[in-house]
Amino acid sequence: MLLSLSLKLFLREVRSGYLTSMLISLILAITIVSGISLFTDRLEKALNTETEEFLGGNLKFESNQNSIKPLLDGINFQNVEQMEMVLFASVVFSENEMQLSSVKAVENSYPLIGELELKDSKGIFVSNSNPKPGTVWMDERLKNLLLLDYGDKVEIGDSTLIFVATIIYEPDRASGNFAFAPKTIMNMSDVESTNIIQPGSRVEYNYLFKGSEEEIIKVKDYLEEIKENGDEIETLSEDSSSLGRTIERSENFFLLGGLIAVLLSACTIGIASQRFTRRHVSYVAILKTLGMKTFQIRALYLLLFLYTTLLTLIIGLSLGWVLQSNFITLMSSYFPTELPSPGYYPLLITCLTALICQFGFIYPHILKLLAVSPMRVLKDHISFSQESVPVFSMGLIAFLLLLYLYTNQLTLSLIIFIGVVGFSVIGIGIIYLLLGKNNTGLGATSSINLALSELRRRKLGNSFQIFAFTVAIGLSLITFSASKNLLGSWQNSIPEDSPNNFAINITIEDKDNMQVFLKDNQIKSTPFFPVTSATILKKEDQDNVIDRNFNITWIEELPDQNELFAGEWFKENHKNGISISDEIYDRYDLQIGDEVFIKINDELIDTYVQSIRTVNWDNFSPNFFVIGHPSLFEDISSTYITSFFIPFEKQQLAAELMREFRTVSVFSIEELIKQVREIIGQVSKALNSILLLTCLSAIFLAFSALQDGFSVRKHQAAILRTLGASNTLIKSSALIEFALLGLIAGTLGALMAYAGIYFIETEVFETSANFYPEIWILGPLIGLVAVSLLCLYLINGIIKQSPKELLMR
Amino acid sequence: MILEVNKLRKEVSSGDSKLVILDDISFSLEEGQSLAITGPSGSGKSTLLGLLAGLDTSTSGEIFLDDIALHNLDEEERAELRKDKVGFVFQSFELLPSLTALENVMLPSELKNEKDPKNNAKYFLERVGLDKREHHYPNQLSGGEQQRVAIARAFACAAKILFADEPTGNLDPKNGRLVSDLLFEVNSETDNALIIVTHDHELAEKCDKQIDLKLGKIVE
Repeated sequence: MLLSLSLKLFLREVRSGYLTSMLISLILAITIVSGISLFTDRLEKALNTETEEFLGGNLKFESNQNSIKPLLDGINFQNVEQMEMVLFASVVFSENEMQLSSVKAVENSYPLIGELELKDSKGIFVSNSNPKPGTVWMDERLKNLLLLDYGDKVEIGDSTLIFVATIIYEPDRASGNFAFAPKTIMNMSDVESTNIIQPGSRVEYNYLFKGSEEEIIKVKDYLEEIKENGDEIETLSEDSSSLGRTIERSENFFLLGGLIAVLLSACTIGIASQRFTRRHVSYVAILKTLGMKTFQIRALYLLLFLYTTLLTLIIGLSLGWVLQSNFITLMSSYFPTELPSPGYYPLLITCLTALICQFGFIYPHILKLLAVSPMRVLKDHISFSQESVPVFSMGLIAFLLLLYLYTNQLTLSLIIFIGVVGFSVIGIGIIYLLLGKNNTGLGATSSINLALSELRRRKLGNSFQIFAFTVAIGLSLITFSASKNLLGSWQNSIPEDSPNNFAINITIEDKDNMQVFLKDNQIKSTPFFPVTSATILKKEDQDNVIDRNFNITWIEELPDQNELFAGEWFKENHKNGISISDEIYDRYDLQIGDEVFIKINDELIDTYVQSIRTVNWDNFSPNFFVIGHPSLFEDISSTYITSFFIPFEKQQLAAELMREFRTVSVFSIEELIKQVREIIGQVSKALNSILLLTCLSAIFLAFSALQDGFSVRKHQAAILRTLGASNTLIKSSALIEFALLGLIAGTLGALMAYAGIYFIETEVFETSANFYPEIWILGPLIGLVAVSLLCLYLINGIIKQSPKELLMR
Repeated sequence: MILEVNKLRKEVSSGDSKLVILDDISFSLEEGQSLAITGPSGSGKSTLLGLLAGLDTSTSGEIFLDDIALHNLDEEERAELRKDKVGFVFQSFELLPSLTALENVMLPSELKNEKDPKNNAKYFLERVGLDKREHHYPNQLSGGEQQRVAIARAFACAAKILFADEPTGNLDPKNGRLVSDLLFEVNSETDNALIIVTHDHELAEKCDKQIDLKLGKIVE
C-alpha cells in the first residue's frame, strides 16, 4: 500500500511541477560533483602515468658513487623490474666540431616505462630498446651543433661510435644534473671503452624501479636504509614540476568551484523542502486522521525521497559523464593517448553528496511534517511547528560533512565552516540592522512608503534573501571576472617574455663576454648567479647530516618572486648568514638562528640561518634552495647560471652562443613553457564551465529565494487589491522594494567578489592582486536590474490573477 | 439606489464546454438596506458576491454600484471603486498575518491616504471590543476575535456597501451570534448597505431582503 501510495504521490508531485526546483538543484549538484570527480580522477591517473614516464619508473635512486651497485645487485625484489643508467658530461667530437654533451648510458632493459620517439634518414619511428652497441642517439640541437648526418662517426672519450638517430621524445626526461647539456644516449656496454669514468670523475648513477605500490614501498624502505649522504630517492608523489603544480592548482580550483555549487544547491534544496512541507501539512493531517501511523508516514516520505534521489542520480550522473567528456575533449590535445577509465571514487562521492543533501536539507523538514497535529483537519488555523533549530543544526552538520568529504582535511573543513557560518551570521546581522525599525502600519499610503515598510517588516526574511542574492551576484561576478580577467592573469603569470633558455657552466672568464653578447643581441636575461653544489651540516648535531646536495648562490638582493617568510634579509654592517627556502625549513627542521656549516668541496663555512623564503619555483628563472651573503663565499670558485628569453625569430642565437662559449651549456625550456601555457588555457576553459554551473546554481538559489518570498506576498497582494489598492501601487512598491534589495545585494556581492578574486589571485594562482573597477559598477547594476526583472515577472503573475481567485486558494 | 443588477450572467470554460455559474440575475438594493444571499453549496453565491464587489467580471449583464456602471470598469477602476465604496468581511477573516490587529484595521485608511488612520482604526477596534488587543497578531487571536478585527477593518474604510461572505461560517454558534449581532449593530449606526452570503437562516432572517440561489438562478 505504502509503495503504491508513495509512487502515486511522487508522480503527482513531479507532474504538478512543485518538485521542480528541488529536482533541478539536486541534478545540478550531482552533475557538478560527478563531472568534476570523474574528470579529476581520470586526470590524476593520467598524470601519474605521465609522471612515471617523466621519472622513468615508479621510483628512482640517484647516487654519485657506484659503491651501492653490489648492494642492489645482491637483493631480489619479487615482481620489481630494475635498471641502471650512468650519466656524465663529456665533450663529443665530430669530424669538424666538438660540443659538451650530457651522456646517458643505458642498459638493455631501457626504457623501463614508456617508449622513445626517434628520427633517422627514413623518418620518425618508435623504439622500446636502448641503442645497439657501437651506436649513439643525440638530440636535434647537438646534431646541428656537431654538423652531423645519420651514419657519421663521433668520438666520446677513447671510443668511436656511430650516430644513428635523433631523439624526439624520451620518457625519463628527469634524469639528473647533467641533463642541462644537449643529450646523447649510448649503450651501457660501450661505457668502459670510452675510459671516461675514472676514480674521481663526476658521474651520476641512476637506478630505476618499476613494480606494484606495495613492492615499491618495500624497495624505498630498503633504499632508505642503505643510502649514503648525497643519495636521493624520488617517487611519484614528489613531483613539484611546473606542470604538476599547475594541474594540482587547477584541481583545487575545480573542487572549490564544485563545493560552492553543491552548497548553493543545498540551500535551494532547503528552501524547496520548506515549501514542499508547507503544502503537505494538510495532507499529513488527513493521513493521520485516517489512522496512518507516524512510522508509516515517515516511510511514505522517505520512499518519496528515495525516488527523488534515484531519479536525480540517474540524470545527474549521466549529465556529469557528458560534462567530464567535454573536459576530456578540451584536454585531449595534451594527453596523446586515451585517458584511463575512472575508478569507483567519483561514484562514491556523488552518492554520498546526494545522501548528505537529502538527510541534511530535506529530512529535517519531513520531521517537522511528522509532528503535524491531526486536529488541523478540524482547525485549519493550527500552525505546524515553526521550530527552526533542528533544521539549521542538521543543515550545518550536513555542510560540515560535505566540506570534509571534499577536502579530506578536518582542520581545513573546520576553518572553512567557521568562516562561512561566521560570514553568513555577520552578513545577515548587518543587513538586519541596516534595515532599521519599522513604524506602525503597512505604509500603504504610497509606493515608496509601502516598499520601505515591507523591507523593514520582513527584516529577517529579507536579510536571508539579500544574503542569497549577494552570494549569487558575488559568484556571478567572480565567474565573469574569471572568464575575463582572472584566468587571463593566471595565463599572464607566464609572461610572453618569460625566459625560455637556461645557460649553465658559465665560467668567470666567460661571464662578462656573455653579458656583452646578450646585450649586443638585445636579449633580456635574469642576473648571472654564481652557483655551486653544497651540503648543509647542523652545527649542534653533526651526525644529523642533511642528506642531499643543494645548489647554492650568493647575492645581496632578494631575487624576484622570492618572498621573505621569516627572519631578515641581508643587511649592511651586519653579520649575515644564509637564507633557506621554506621546503628546506619544512623538511629538515631548520629554524631561524640555527648555526650550520656549509660544506663546499672540502671547505666548511661557519654560518647561521638568517631568513626563510617562499620561492615561486615555476617562474622559469634560476631558483635556489640556499642563498648566502657574498661575504661568506669570497674564496669559493664557482660557475654562473642565468636564464634569458630568445624570441622565435632569433632562435639561431642559441647555437651561435654555444659556438662562441664552448664550455657554456644552453638548454631550451620553450617546449615546457608551451606545454604549461597550453594546459592553463585548456584548464581555464574547463574551469569556465564549472564556474558557469556554479553561477547557475547561485542564480537558481536567488530565484528560489525570491519565489519563496513571493508565495507569502500573494496573499497580501490579494487582500490589498480587495481593499482597493491599485495594481500600480502593488507593482511599483514591489519593484522599489526589490530594486533596493537588489542594489544592497549587488553592492555586497561586489564586495564579496572583490574579496574572492583577491583570494584566488593571491592564494590560488599566486599572482599579484588586481583592482577591477567594473565589478563595483556591475555588481549593483546586476543586482538592481536582475532582481527587479525577476520581481516584475513574479509580480505580474500575481496581478494577472483576480483577487477573488487568489483568496479562494 | 446603491446597487442595481440587470440580467447578470457568468460562464466559465471547462475544457471545450462552457459552464454557466450564474444566469439572469436581476435585483436592486437601497442605501441602508441589508440583503442575504442564500442557497446550497455550488449555487453561485460567492461568485455573485465577487461580481457585485468588483472582484471578478461578468460574462454579460449590468451592475450599477452607487450609480457607477461596474460592468464597464477595468481592473484599476474597479480597485478604485472598492477602495472608496466597498468593505469586506470574509469567512476565513483574511487578515494580514504580519500586521497587528491595529495595523490591519488601519490598512483601508492608509490606502485612502486618510490623515489619521491610527485614531480611526483605534475607534473601530474599541467599537468591536478589541481595544485591549490592538497590538496582537492574528495568530494570537481566537477565530471570533479575528472576525471582529475584520469587521472593524470593513467599517474603518467608511464604505457605502459592505459585503460579508459567510462571516460566521468559521465560528462556533456562540461566537457566530456575537459576530452577526456586532455586524448589524455597527451597520445600523451607518447608512451602509449590507450584503451577506450565508447558509445561516437565522442570520438571513435578520436582513431586509433575501435572494435564494439554486443552480445559478434566483428562486422566486
